[in-house]
Amino acid sequence: MKPKIFIARGISSKELLDSVFDRYNIKDRTLKYGEYGKPYLASGDLFFNLSHCGDMVVCAVCNREVGVDIQRIDYRKNVINKVCSQEEAAEIRTPEDFTKMWVLKESFAKCDGRGLSYGLKNINTKNLKDSEVFQIGDFLVATCYNTR
Amino acid sequence: MKDKVINLIAETLDVDKKKINEKTNLVKDLEVESLDLVDLVGAFEEEFGVEIADKDIKNLQTVGDIIKYAEEHEA
Repeated sequence: MKPKIFIARGISSKELLDSVFDRYNIKDRTLKYGEYGKPYLASGDLFFNLSHCGDMVVCAVCNREVGVDIQRIDYRKNVINKVCSQEEAAEIRTPEDFTKMWVLKESFAKCDGRGLSYGLKNINTKNLKDSEVFQIGDFLVATCYNTR
Repeated sequence: MKDKVINLIAETLDVDKKKINEKTNLVKDLEVESLDLVDLVGAFEEEFGVEIADKDIKNLQTVGDIIKYAEEHEA
């Protein structure tokens, strides 16, 4: 299934996660952490991922591994040099282009579980399957639930 | 080296450098998010001519960690 997205403002990631667990009637909320720090439910009842930016927090839930990222629309030249191929860099003309590239790569790497250790330059945003981006106010949110 | 790194962090993250010392934790004290961290890594690489491997980024948790990395990898 496609991930379901829950977004809140002004609460902590933990508060949002608790409300999501309430909604899905998750009783055993014991968390474990992957090798690179990605939290997951020990019971395996539900897959989730969290992201925050400023006072915005987002939680994606799915029946398989999922990654989510939220970012205020921004532009960082240093980051383009660090995480984009030449082809990708050539297509980034606006802060929206930049932020879309960033949240797509981040959500993929978070779905994988390695996060930044994955090496965001190794992710070609043109080849992503089952990734989606949407805008909410000044923010872009991306989800990914397939890293193949 | 310490001053150069602190100046770089202050400039890249737009933080008052008086708030930064070797014990400053990037996430807890400066509220650095992943985009800021990669921005900082990019600025660091350009300033010091040193590439930080992706697998090492998660180990850079404090300003002291970055200073140590700079000293160990200085050309």
